[in-house]
Amino acid sequence: MLSDPIDSPTSAPTRRPSSPAPTQPILEVIDATHAYDGVVALENVTVTAAPGEFLTILGESGSGKTTLLRLISGLEKPYRIGALRLGGVDVREVPAFLRDCTTVFQNYALFPHLTVGANVEYGLKVRGIAAAERRTRARQALELVQLADMYDRKIHQLSGGQRQRVALARALVPQPAILLLDEPLGALDEKLRVDMQVELLELQKRLGMTFIYITHSQEEALTMSDRIILMRKGKIEQEGPPTTIFDRPVSSFAARFMGVENCFDAELTGVSGSDALIRVGDHHLIGRWSGRKPPKAGAKVAVGIRAERLRLARAAPTGPDLNVLPCRGGGAIYKGKYLDRAVETDVAPMKARIWDASAADGEPSCVWWRKDDCIVMEP
Amino acid sequence: MSTMTLTQDRAERAQTKRHSRLGQSTGWITLAKVFGVVALAMIYIPLLWLAVMSFAASPLSGVPFPLTLDNYRQLGGDGRWLPPLWTSVWLSGLVALVCMLIATVVGRSITRMRRPGGVILLTLLPLFVPGLTTGAALFIFLRTILELKLGIWSIFLGQLVWALPFCMLLILVIASRFDLRLLEAAEDLGASPWRRFWDIEMPILRPGIFGAGIFGFLLSFNELPRSLFLRGLETTLPIYNWAMAASQQSQVPIIFSLTTIILAVTLPVMGAFFWVLFVKLDKS
Repeated sequence: MLSDPIDSPTSAPTRRPSSPAPTQPILEVIDATHAYDGVVALENVTVTAAPGEFLTILGESGSGKTTLLRLISGLEKPYRIGALRLGGVDVREVPAFLRDCTTVFQNYALFPHLTVGANVEYGLKVRGIAAAERRTRARQALELVQLADMYDRKIHQLSGGQRQRVALARALVPQPAILLLDEPLGALDEKLRVDMQVELLELQKRLGMTFIYITHSQEEALTMSDRIILMRKGKIEQEGPPTTIFDRPVSSFAARFMGVENCFDAELTGVSGSDALIRVGDHHLIGRWSGRKPPKAGAKVAVGIRAERLRLARAAPTGPDLNVLPCRGGGAIYKGKYLDRAVETDVAPMKARIWDASAADGEPSCVWWRKDDCIVMEP
Repeated sequence: MSTMTLTQDRAERAQTKRHSRLGQSTGWITLAKVFGVVALAMIYIPLLWLAVMSFAASPLSGVPFPLTLDNYRQLGGDGRWLPPLWTSVWLSGLVALVCMLIATVVGRSITRMRRPGGVILLTLLPLFVPGLTTGAALFIFLRTILELKLGIWSIFLGQLVWALPFCMLLILVIASRFDLRLLEAAEDLGASPWRRFWDIEMPILRPGIFGAGIFGFLLSFNELPRSLFLRGLETTLPIYNWAMAASQQSQVPIIFSLTTIILAVTLPVMGAFFWVLFVKLDKS
């Protein structure tokens, strides 16, 4: 079977192991709560990051991810916080301009009255570093983002992608312990975004700097991160390495966010080992439990199956670990690399992904999938 | 054939976009040009005429000939206008400076308010109060109620009240477009509050601040009605000119030459200033 490198976790490049466990975390946010005008934006959120880690905070708009970033940078003072440490030092009372972290803003926030060079140098200028050294280091940073010849340009002469790089260079130059990135690729077009993802990742590895990266794109999070924190309405929904979040979402929210196409409700009838036995209407299915708490029989659960794990067949296969449902064929959506085939079952409408378009001929009579691909989780 | 389709095309477009056509039709453009020329003529012809008449032997006759330098010679021999000029120059300079300072401090705070509407209205309302009213009101308040001795300081106060709303307006226009997120970016990069203002906010507000200074100076330098009430025993150049023109017929020719000299000095200076401010600094 063909496999899209972005969609499939198994083909993701092997990641360097996260730094050895006993090292002190470079960032600790303990029990942070924040509200804007009585609306809670963050609720008892705890986040830590190891030195050199690429940590992604994933969530839709309004999930509190930008608030979390602003608490770390110091641009927002938390309503209540247990502890906030950068490199082991308590920075709760330290103003933003004295904290050892810089931000790449979503809108870049480049200084329009300064040249590219002066923008990049600014972090050094306010630290009182001599002009000659500032210039050398700014040039190095611009080289790093492949804009070496743009030193004397004005900001308004740059394209969106170039501005993004200048913002990145400007944040890198003071060599902060942590680099915060607030949806830095959000304003770029598709092609550029994919290129920049790779560049950012290489840069992070080369510099060994801790990156805290905010995005609403699950694809970006999966491609780049050592670890992902999925946020929902100011709380952490799930936390773990990309493969865990992708393969074993804990809830239907996490599953939908991570692009699980087929989700429906069911009732848990029993548990044996890691197997979860479930019932939907008159159909009994088997899957693997991936929720946070150990499940109880009789509980309402959610079931998720990725479209690429569903198979369509004309005759029902048999096997101990297989789920089979009779189905009627619906429409198909051509997606270029693959074909999405919609089918009707007694349980729910489902979507199966067919990589070999020629295999899509004919009317399927049943849809089947393996136990291991059937995620049973919290509703 | 192709021209036919072209005109047909144009006619169709004209029908769908009548409004845009209205703005582009030659009739309107001609009308706009005529009005523009008339307006400019109304401004510059009297000024030029004043300059010409300052060389006339008898300016009040309305005939420029015979030309003479007598008026200027007389002005040179008569030193009475120098102290008022000097007073006006430094007073207006001070008004300009204080206007720049207050308008900047207040203007940038107003743009940070959540609901600035009421404050902006209150700040700009003095623009619509007639000069004589302000002058009389301040006079009664300072002289009669507070029983203070009027002088330069009260003229300064009256002119400040007059010029400040204009300066506020200039600062507000620039400051309201200022992106506060730039200050956050500077803060994030390690800039202290003062550096953030000096490196980022001030340079971006600079056209507004300098504009406020220029207008503060000009408004103060030409101010008459308020100064008349608040002068005490002091005399500024507008008061001097007005007194001379109003009371002593024989002094009028000197006024012609004096205003011409001031005009000849101010216009190029202001022109250069604007050029530096909006052309030179913008490019650098």
